[in-house]
Amino acid sequence: MAMRGLSMQPNLLRENAALCLQAKQEFAANGLPAAKNEAWIYTRLQALTLNPANAGEEAQADEAGVLSFSAGWLQTGGDNLPASVTLTEMGDDAILGEFAAHLPEDHFLGSLSLGHATGAYLIEIAANAAIETPLQLVFEGGEEGQSSHPLIFIKCGAGASCQLAEIHSGTTSLSAPVMVIDAGAGAKIDHVKLQAEDSQASHLALTVFAVAQTADINSFTAAIGAKLGRHETHAHLNGEHIEMALSSLYLGRAEQHQDITTRMLHHMPNCTSNQVIRGVLDDSAKGVFQGKVLVARDAQKTDGQQMSRALLLSRKAEADAKPELEIYADDVVCSHGATVGELDETHLFYMMSRGISEDDAKNMLIQAFLIDALEQVRHEALADILSHAVHDWMAEGL
Amino acid sequence: MNLLEIKNLKAKIGDKEILHGIDLTINRGEVHAIMGPNGSGKSTLSYVLSGRDGYEVTDGEILLDGESVLDMEADERARAGMFLAFQYPVELPGVGGMSFLRAAVNARLREKGEDEVDQLAFVKMVRAKAKALGVDDEMLKRAVNVGFSGGEKKRYEILQMALLEPTMAVLDETDSGLDVDALRIVSEGVNALRGEARGMLVITHYQRLLSHIVPDYVHILAGGRIIKSGDKDLALEVENNGYAGLIDAA
Ligand SMILES: Nc1ncnc2c1ncn2[C@@H]1O[C@H](COP(=O)(O)OP(=O)(O)OP(=O)(O)O)[C@@H](O)[C@H]1O
Ligand SMILES: [Mg+2]
Repeated sequence: MAMRGLSMQPNLLRENAALCLQAKQEFAANGLPAAKNEAWIYTRLQALTLNPANAGEEAQADEAGVLSFSAGWLQTGGDNLPASVTLTEMGDDAILGEFAAHLPEDHFLGSLSLGHATGAYLIEIAANAAIETPLQLVFEGGEEGQSSHPLIFIKCGAGASCQLAEIHSGTTSLSAPVMVIDAGAGAKIDHVKLQAEDSQASHLALTVFAVAQTADINSFTAAIGAKLGRHETHAHLNGEHIEMALSSLYLGRAEQHQDITTRMLHHMPNCTSNQVIRGVLDDSAKGVFQGKVLVARDAQKTDGQQMSRALLLSRKAEADAKPELEIYADDVVCSHGATVGELDETHLFYMMSRGISEDDAKNMLIQAFLIDALEQVRHEALADILSHAVHDWMAEGL
Repeated sequence: MNLLEIKNLKAKIGDKEILHGIDLTINRGEVHAIMGPNGSGKSTLSYVLSGRDGYEVTDGEILLDGESVLDMEADERARAGMFLAFQYPVELPGVGGMSFLRAAVNARLREKGEDEVDQLAFVKMVRAKAKALGVDDEMLKRAVNVGFSGGEKKRYEILQMALLEPTMAVLDETDSGLDVDALRIVSEGVNALRGEARGMLVITHYQRLLSHIVPDYVHILAGGRIIKSGDKDLALEVENNGYAGLIDAA
């Protein structure tokens, strides 16, 4: 067990911390992203239900490595964590300041959840620790109408390796987690996020990676649930020789809207980034992929790849893609691409001509379409979490 | 009862009528060959038989075991015993060969009310049949047809036929792209499936295939019609003299 300062009746950050109060003012002054705000062109926000929850009851510790959150508050202590992992509540302005300094300036999602913060936690992984069991952050919704705004700061020490799974489900109104993952030099992190919120929920997430030299990050987001999902990730490659994979898949049916927004920021030379994005949209669902790869003037020898493909299963489904390269260095290998397509009639016919029903054939083809993305997840146990979720999604469609 | 009965079949693609009234009857145990110039409608006939979308039957009838298949989707026809070995087999990136084959075989077994095969037994069965057709294990592990050579794709078609054991098999230019040895191996594979259980319709341009798979009947399809039918000697006649004389006479 490793835990300090985790009180069960914490001061409400949002009512006390100067940073939160300031963020709240900012949020109130700016309101929802304006129609002309470039970053929100494809995803229009309607009025949000802002009713941040208060801390709930403590529950029993879960199985090893599982941290359960309800309405943005941690339910369990840290006693089921490995010895090299420390869990602390972010109670003072100093650590909160360090957290907030990683967030993009004047960012809607940042001020939204800083200003309405629910629980705020720092999870530290000691330098050179090798964590064998995945840490699972399991977020569930609170009561009807409550909104969750957890602030999570993960510091992975130099040379440490760990696996993180974020699982979001059960929110009926708004879940707006802000997460900063600070990877020390040479750290190796496998991270997956599964967003499987209730069908009426909004999930507005901001995740920031701050990555030091020679770190190796493999991150994947699967956006499956919620009525409206925005998964915005900024990755700052702050040292040389970083390997960063930041891939995702999104699935939508009915009136779902899934938005994957990434900013891959190559500040230093000799780094590699790769993004594989796959989306499947049925009914009147809408998918958005906005991906910017920025290569600073000094970031020579950058290899930055990005490829997004969307598969539309219905005439009314829609996919928007805005891939962007902004390159200031001259010796780089970067590419990006975005395609939108439908299932191939020839493929379907070939399969059906072998007796495979249309539904089964479609499902096999959807799985085949998603496989390029799912294969990016290199940690097997984490990959399993996602493929089960995808499998369930397809089973529901039959 | 006849296995396959095609009566005055007319079909169009878009607004263009391609088949102008075809009559053909195939019984169990028989092998029929269709030859004909490029663009005469051979592949179209094979697609119409197997129920491809976009190929609209405007007149006539197709009966399989006495029942009309016109209202059946492609998958239903396949489960009823129809099989098409494609002229251009389709690559399915990301679809694993084994799971594809197993889905197909299980669909057919379910239709017959039989138990699905378990995975181990299935892999064994596929390996055995693949070996006989010169399809190596490594190919079986790949995505369906992806990265296969032209000849490998054709062998894979016949492997599927061997696994599905259809009652009515249509083979569209299975010989094209095969080298001499492969032609012999594939033909042996086809011949092994000949028998009272099924009928076959073999589409080809070359007598060469028909010296391996000796047909009971040969039909010449030209301009969307069968202009002449005969026995295996008709194929020799085509080989020697071409189609011009036959078309003029028709
Ligand atoms: N999708 C299509 N749309 C319009 N016309 C088509 C289409 N497919 C085939 N055709 C036409 O139908 C006719 C018959 O084509 P089909 O492929 O059946 O010929 P084939 O006898 O199989 O020829 P080959 O020996 O070259 O394989 C041709 O004139 C062809 O151009
Ligand atoms: Mg043809």
